[in-house]
Amino acid sequence: MAAREVTFNLNQGEFVTLVGPTGCGKSTLLNLAAGLLTPDSGTVEIFGAPLVGINRFAAYQFQEDVILPWKTAEENVMLGLIFRKTPLSQARATAREWLVRVGLAGFENRYPHQLSGGMRKRVALAQALIVEPRILLMDEPFSALDEQTRQFMEDDLLKICSEFRKSVLFVTHDLEEAIALADRVMVLSAGPGTRIIGDYPVTIPRPREVADIRVNPVFREIFGTIWEHLRGEVMKAYART
Amino acid sequence: MPGRERTILWVKQVSVFILLMVSWEVCAAWKWIDPFFFSQPSAVVVRLYKWFTGGSIYLHIYITGIETVLAFLAGALLGIIFGFLFARIPSLAAIFDPYVKIANALPRIALAPIFTLWFGLGILSKVVFGVTLVFFIVFFNTYRGIREVNPNILNNARMLGANERDLFRHVLMPSAMSWILASLHTSVGMALVGAVVGEYLGAARGLGYLIAQAEGVFDTTGVFAGLVVLSFFVLIIDVLVSIIERRLLKWQPSA
Repeated sequence: MAAREVTFNLNQGEFVTLVGPTGCGKSTLLNLAAGLLTPDSGTVEIFGAPLVGINRFAAYQFQEDVILPWKTAEENVMLGLIFRKTPLSQARATAREWLVRVGLAGFENRYPHQLSGGMRKRVALAQALIVEPRILLMDEPFSALDEQTRQFMEDDLLKICSEFRKSVLFVTHDLEEAIALADRVMVLSAGPGTRIIGDYPVTIPRPREVADIRVNPVFREIFGTIWEHLRGEVMKAYART
Repeated sequence: MPGRERTILWVKQVSVFILLMVSWEVCAAWKWIDPFFFSQPSAVVVRLYKWFTGGSIYLHIYITGIETVLAFLAGALLGIIFGFLFARIPSLAAIFDPYVKIANALPRIALAPIFTLWFGLGILSKVVFGVTLVFFIVFFNTYRGIREVNPNILNNARMLGANERDLFRHVLMPSAMSWILASLHTSVGMALVGAVVGEYLGAARGLGYLIAQAEGVFDTTGVFAGLVVLSFFVLIIDVLVSIIERRLLKWQPSA
């Protein structure tokens, strides 16, 4: 299928972004790590143990809105706790804490259609983080947002991830976003038969402000190097469509 | 719509009704149409007054109401159970597909006499008849509601730790519910059609029976009076359904 011979490690507390041309199997890799797909060959190991079934250490952020439209923001956030049989009052209290943490205090009883696109993403983030995952898998979660909302979301994500020491695997086709967020950017080749063809550390110190980082000279330099590499793959993928 | 415009519209709507009734009354009074076959509004009103003050009508309304409610509940329950089974077990859906199609295409009214034979002249035959009408509407909506859940919504719930029961309760059923509720007016209407048509074909009580009886003795006034009661009955049920719908679908953006 899409990916072939992809080997990489995600370290504790590390933020890794995957970039690559369209159709290179980025989402497939995430679904493998989530346990939503089983590899045809090879293994996925989580903390040294092979993954069977759903990855219980991970939470997933999808590109589209997948919070439940028939539940309020609060009910959506507490969902993972309800599945874990947490008592209702305790789940509710924890959900409220998380809504405050993602900046949605006062929106507990709104339904998703009453929230903006950015707010729905915040609900999804709180919903994922409330189950205290050690790994966050993110599939272009902010691609549908406008630029400003997106930068706010990126900043908040960085803050929350460093506060709770999450390991993050973040898929995007936007190289600027990939560098701004990451400790390490991995470049995938054009599919089919995707491989990792580049692994670039991002040495820009934290804490970072996503809006400022784009004018940082180190950022420009890393961007130039990776783009040089990525462009060839994008051209290959483009030629096939 | 601003209040003034709404009032004007309402006045126009009522005017149409008054115009129709007055022309009917006048035509009958001047014998342009035969009052024996066409009756007249004043006679219908007098008949309704007698029914409601005499108290004979309440039993019929009650019976038709009970039949409608039972037919709806039983039909909806069966529709939800089978809709869910068919949606979750594709082989079942594949095997029974032609039979479901045939059964749904069959004009249900042809079954009514059989049901009268099997289940008698009482409530049961009407309820069963209503169920055959309600079932398919709820069945198809449940099926679609469950099949058309975004697969990533299911994946997301699984990632959050949902087991099959959680998925059913928090994801699949609410999704199906939104489809079922969207067709609630139709399915409740069908339950009522089942009750009234069943009574019309053979019964001892109910609004359909009342109309059939009146028709049997060429009592056109009785037929029209029965139709008026039936219309108000439908109107009240429709308002109730709208209230339930609004309460249960409050999470949806208002269209």
